[in-house]
Amino acid sequence: MNDFKALSEAVNKGDNKTALVEVQKSLDAGSSAEEILNKGLITAMNEVGDKFSKGLIFVPQMLRSAKTMQECTNLLQPFFQEGDITSKGKVLIGTVKGDLHDIGKNLVSMMLEGAGFTITDLGVDIPPEKFVEKTKEVKPDIIGLSALLSTTMPAMAQTIEALQKAGLRDQVKIIIGGAPVTEKYAQQINADSYAPDAGSAVNKAKALLGIS
Amino acid sequence: MGKSLPVFKPLPPADVRRIDQASRQILKRIGIRIKDDAILDKLKKAGAKVDYHNQRVRFEEEWLDELLSRAPSKFTLYSRDEKHNLPLGEGEVHFANGGRVFRIINIADGDYRLTMLKDIAHTATLVDRLEHIRFYVIACQAHDVEPQYYHLNDFCNAFNNTNKHVMGGCDNVEGVRQVWKLASLIAGGEDRLRKKPFFSVITNPISPLTIGPNAAKILSFCAIHGIPVTCASAPIAGATSPVTLAGTLAQMHAEVLAGISITQIFFPGAKVLYGAVPTTMDLRNMEFSMGSSEMGMMSAAAVQLSKLYHLPIRASAGVTESKRPDIQSGVEKSFSNLMVAMAGADCVLLAAGMLDSGNSVSYEQYAIDNEIIGMVYRVLSGIRVNKETLSLDVIEQVGPGGNYIMEEHTVDCMREEFFYPGLSIRYNFDIWEERGHPDMLSRANDMVHNILTEHAEGKDGLLGTDMLREIRKTFPEIKNI
Ligand code: B12
Repeated sequence: MNDFKALSEAVNKGDNKTALVEVQKSLDAGSSAEEILNKGLITAMNEVGDKFSKGLIFVPQMLRSAKTMQECTNLLQPFFQEGDITSKGKVLIGTVKGDLHDIGKNLVSMMLEGAGFTITDLGVDIPPEKFVEKTKEVKPDIIGLSALLSTTMPAMAQTIEALQKAGLRDQVKIIIGGAPVTEKYAQQINADSYAPDAGSAVNKAKALLGIS
Repeated sequence: MGKSLPVFKPLPPADVRRIDQASRQILKRIGIRIKDDAILDKLKKAGAKVDYHNQRVRFEEEWLDELLSRAPSKFTLYSRDEKHNLPLGEGEVHFANGGRVFRIINIADGDYRLTMLKDIAHTATLVDRLEHIRFYVIACQAHDVEPQYYHLNDFCNAFNNTNKHVMGGCDNVEGVRQVWKLASLIAGGEDRLRKKPFFSVITNPISPLTIGPNAAKILSFCAIHGIPVTCASAPIAGATSPVTLAGTLAQMHAEVLAGISITQIFFPGAKVLYGAVPTTMDLRNMEFSMGSSEMGMMSAAAVQLSKLYHLPIRASAGVTESKRPDIQSGVEKSFSNLMVAMAGADCVLLAAGMLDSGNSVSYEQYAIDNEIIGMVYRVLSGIRVNKETLSLDVIEQVGPGGNYIMEEHTVDCMREEFFYPGLSIRYNFDIWEERGHPDMLSRANDMVHNILTEHAEGKDGLLGTDMLREIRKTFPEIKNI
């Protein structure tokens, strides 16, 4: 009987290498991918989430665990019959034109990735055209726009307009954020959602796609 | 003032050298990314090891030392009124407010809004009148001005409302050029401005280890035109620099030395300030934290690192996460202001007006911070010990059992010995009740009101009618002047 103790410990520690080895071992020993996912990874991640909400571990630990979980599920992917279990949805994210701030955006990306989304991060200072081009290429479910300067917030509106003009607006949900950005502004520029920090960004993104 | 500095050294000398050595290793082995090929060409010609593919510049130690030795250890930040000139590298500490916020909080009703051009005029007026804030930093974004001209409008409003030195963060070289033209007109020519530049510019590297094209161009322009400049590194420990304080200091120091050496390539002897804004991330929930104890400690340590190279430093202190003037803001501001001043920083920026991690200001906070800084200056000026202050004569005269209230000695020494706060409540309980329970904040509110009303009664502003006419003619892009 496999109790996935070592795997669980590795996920809790965010120890990528050991976790991957453990997953492989379990597969070799005949555990099903489903079992490894449910009894091993998800149980471990629930523990991590629990510890985080109690303040016992900090964000970097939580992110490392989530990353470990993500890589283990990637390894399991070929063993599942039906479709893509690893991704909750595709997110295209970037800091808008004229703006070089990226820490907040990176945090949001890491949290979303940890929650199971697939991220394409375009980086900083991304003009509307580039968002349009990449949207065609990546076909994201959600586009995330970040702005830390009140003076680059208009570039968010321009990006949404450009997506509209390119006929792509209806195919994606748009979520925006950054210190000067507000819920009200999101409504004004016809974005679908706004989140004040990375934690709530995950909940809002899930809500946008109707998943929990 | 401040002759006994520095008294607070968080790092023992051997550790200062170890951090410096680590920074030199960073510059030599890892290098700095400079995202501008024209600037890379220029650096290569001057002897840098350039890896164009990765836009990476590496600094051999000898070359670095040669460049750094060109940077002046002393210079003056001039003002239009010479009594406000700020000598740097002389052991004096000069406090200033913080800049470029986007939000202003109205304390009376708790309301907040985006900042406008008038807020620059008002905050400049406040700094002009508040004696312990020694120079003005462009406080906020003027959201009512078109982007191409905001630096020009900002500085013009600042010049018109304070004679103190004006420093400002600029995001592109075109903005700096406009301000330089305006200042040249006010100075009566480019040469006169070069001799006594009464404004200076802040730009930033992007941690970790990157200097963007705008910053590089601004450094070049300022060096060549004799405008004092600072390339202030602003790492966030745990996010854009190592979580360890020593690691953050090593990376920050490397970024600053790179910025300084670049200015010395463009113009040997260019007036440049070591710029340090080390901050932290609260890793429990990833909340940005400027008001942390570590911020003050690292800023004080940065002073030690700058002095290893005899460079004047623009350090930072007096910041807080708090959204209002309250207990948290009082604690956090006092803590870092005192630490960094006692370390002997030449300039301490961000120290007035700011709240909310550098996102907001409130007018009242300027008055409160002025008082905190006044208390800091009192600490810096130390305890005078001489024949007169030892007071043997008067002690003998009063003898056992008397009092000192009416002694000439008291009258002679009383003004110099104590700092007299303008906002702290010192009246007794009954008087406090009688006066309607005032506190520091309500008194700050009154003070601000008085300064701004008095100011509104003045006419044309400090630049004078003729100069303003000239400015309007030459710069039609300037509004409200
Ligand atoms: C660090 C910093 C920098 C660093 C950036 C380094 C980097 N790699 O990002 C450096 C030094 C390079 C920098 C440069 C500049 N900066 Co700056 N910077 C900051 C600072 C101090 C912290 C920002 C930060 O990282 N916060 C921590 C992160 C975790 O929080 P966050 O970004 O808010 O993100 C959270 C939420 O907002 C949200 N979120 C963010 N993005 C998104 C996206 C989505 C989709 C969602 C859902 C949510 C979301 O979730 C995040 C995580 O919880 C802020 C002040 C502040 N307190 O915010 C000024 C600040 C934003 N900067 C400012 C300015 C003016 C500048 C400069 C123009 C200065 C200059 N003269 O050069 C340049 C601009 C360069 C450019 N063109 O962009 C001003 C902006 C004023 C304004 N008009 O709005 C501020 C407010 C500071 C100030 N008073 O001067 N800056």
